Amino acid sequence: MLFKDDEVARAEAKAVRENAGWYRWTHDLVEVSGPDAERFLDWMLVNRIAGTPEGRGKYTTMLDEKGQIIDDLVAFNRGGLWWLSTLYGPHAVRWFDAHNEGFDVTYQDVTQAWDMYAVQGPNSGKVMAALLDEPVDDLKRFQIVERHVGQTAVVVDRGGFTGELGFELYCARKDSAAIAEAIAAAAAPFDAPRLTTLEVYVRSLPMEKGMALRQDYKGLTPYEANLGWSVHMDKDFFGKEALAAAHEAGERRAFVGLEIERESYEDIAQKEIVYKRGVPVGYTPAFIYGYTVDKNIGFGVVDARKCPIGTRVTIGGNASPAVVVEPKWC
Amino acid sequence: MALLKHVATHRGVETAFGKIIPEKEAYSYCLRTIAAFSANIFQVMRLLNDDWEDRTSQICEIANMMNCAACAGGEDELFQYLNAFYDEWNIPELVKRAAWIGGIWGDYGDEAEDMAGRVIQFTENRVEKELDSCPWDIVGSEMCNMTTAMFTANFDIAAGGEHGAITNDVQLNMCEARGCGNPHCRVVAERLDHFNLEHQGWLDHRGQPTQPVHDTPPERRVRHAQGLRNGQYVQAFGEENSLEWQYNWVAQMGWVWSISFPLIAIRDMAEDDDEFERILRIVFATAGKNAFVDFFAREGLRNWLDIPREIGDNDPRVMGAYIDAMLGCQLVPHEWEAFDAEGVEIRVSQEDFEGRFEMAPLEEITMGYEAQWNGACHTLVSPEWSVWIDEDDDDYIINVGRKVDDRAL
Repeated sequence: MLFKDDEVARAEAKAVRENAGWYRWTHDLVEVSGPDAERFLDWMLVNRIAGTPEGRGKYTTMLDEKGQIIDDLVAFNRGGLWWLSTLYGPHAVRWFDAHNEGFDVTYQDVTQAWDMYAVQGPNSGKVMAALLDEPVDDLKRFQIVERHVGQTAVVVDRGGFTGELGFELYCARKDSAAIAEAIAAAAAPFDAPRLTTLEVYVRSLPMEKGMALRQDYKGLTPYEANLGWSVHMDKDFFGKEALAAAHEAGERRAFVGLEIERESYEDIAQKEIVYKRGVPVGYTPAFIYGYTVDKNIGFGVVDARKCPIGTRVTIGGNASPAVVVEPKWC
Repeated sequence: MALLKHVATHRGVETAFGKIIPEKEAYSYCLRTIAAFSANIFQVMRLLNDDWEDRTSQICEIANMMNCAACAGGEDELFQYLNAFYDEWNIPELVKRAAWIGGIWGDYGDEAEDMAGRVIQFTENRVEKELDSCPWDIVGSEMCNMTTAMFTANFDIAAGGEHGAITNDVQLNMCEARGCGNPHCRVVAERLDHFNLEHQGWLDHRGQPTQPVHDTPPERRVRHAQGLRNGQYVQAFGEENSLEWQYNWVAQMGWVWSISFPLIAIRDMAEDDDEFERILRIVFATAGKNAFVDFFAREGLRNWLDIPREIGDNDPRVMGAYIDAMLGCQLVPHEWEAFDAEGVEIRVSQEDFEGRFEMAPLEEITMGYEAQWNGACHTLVSPEWSVWIDEDDDDYIINVGRKVDDRAL
């Protein structure tokens, strides 16, 4: 929960939007390899993974039998070895265990072997240039390369979860403290702070740009979650039939933005009920304060028919007034 | 237009007269009855030990030790225990989970126990949790202190420190407590190195944090936790607990932390078991007598249970129905042996009655409720009627019957 008057959080958010900031940000990491690795991932994930060039990654969702989202991740091709950056690796591993029949593939959660830092913001390229042995400013989105910090080998991708230009830097766990020190030294001349308020970089900055965590999409199809662009119906993938049927029937729910018309939102937790004229029409996966837009904002999963953009609703037992908006604020 | 085939079905506890107590109401009542039992036990403690600092310290130490012991074992076992917890709650590496497990751990327990509120701040160096309600707010200040000792255990476990000692790197302050008259309960954890703080002792947990707190205004406060508000608890990383799961969890665990743990220390405060049991019976009997001295309390109960007017005031079924509703709401399986104007008999297995949490049965439940219900019966029905509990093989028979006792207390 973040509040308008939290000056530390505001300064951290401002640094990323206007300059640069860095923080430890460890996705869980699942490594996939073997002769059928690419074919397996192409089957498990809705985006087209087959043919992804070496050194490139793709954002995608993973579905269950009902065609509903159970994970969203970026799959990086590291030359036959695949890295999946997901919020929670053990779930992905268990899901693969249950659906790997017919594939010659191995996978493991390697989260504990790697540490990861994010450098984000319009000036993040300058910080990376000061940090690394070779520049990375010409990287395309989700391009992944190997570099060095001093003598230490690291892996860098152009990506992040703030909606700004940014980079993610992976290093061995044993090198983590030294890498953090090196990033701090590289960031200092640019006045780029280390972010310490988790909810600024996990919730506030991403939400303003319309970026959700996988749990926000729980139970939704990619179409309901506004992620239809990533679905490749011209290939086979797990959950396709159910997804096609649901899409054909029409999306019942909509993933929307909600703007609270009150100073604060303390009475709103995860999955608070959204009402339209006193009748439940959905729920809120998450709420936060957005320092760039200076508003209390959140995501909503609502009845698509009853809640077009502009609908006035209330949230929770205290009837906090809100309006339905597009789920992207800046 | 076709009519519905049947009315919608909802879960609830059926009273002796067929009225359904809705699940959420039964859950709330269950919580409050456990808290009331705990309040009585704490009164016993105050009679046995008149030194606030001494008794508070003793229960803090026990609560901390028992929380740590719950996941005791070698380093590998502790690691497995923690990993299983992270996995159950889908807690990813990115939150520095080992350092903040206490902040995460507490949230689902608070919510299950209808300690409704919010995590105000969750950073690497500081966590602030604010609660607007607490069914245990009748127990008293020792309880508020004791819960902070339990949180300390969570941090100790995560830090892998010596069990029973404060080894973690966080200062924890319950700087407000509803049980002490504050509008909120508020627990703040601040990292020692970041805020230049010292390790605390058992009685140091009611201090103020170094950083200002965020006080939620009255109109934004909530009356109930997520489960009772919305039908389920959803944790920040998306994992859910159903209302049903939460209800069952508190019907077990509420007895453990708020009664079983402090009782270990409280029993030791008495000279011997006889003295402890004598005082316990007196306290619970008084609580029972006071529960129904007001006519509106008796009328309210009749209304709540839907007791028909054909059953008069001086009828044992009134008391029997009350006990039945309490057992039902506490999720204790039981059956009627007799329910008429001559008396009431309720059969319940000893294991179910005392072993709410199977691994930690409490004989004090039998002693306490026998005294409390007997006292309550004298004001709810009349002094002509008494409540006593007989053993029958592995069962108890809870009786409401006529009994003349020349030395009735």
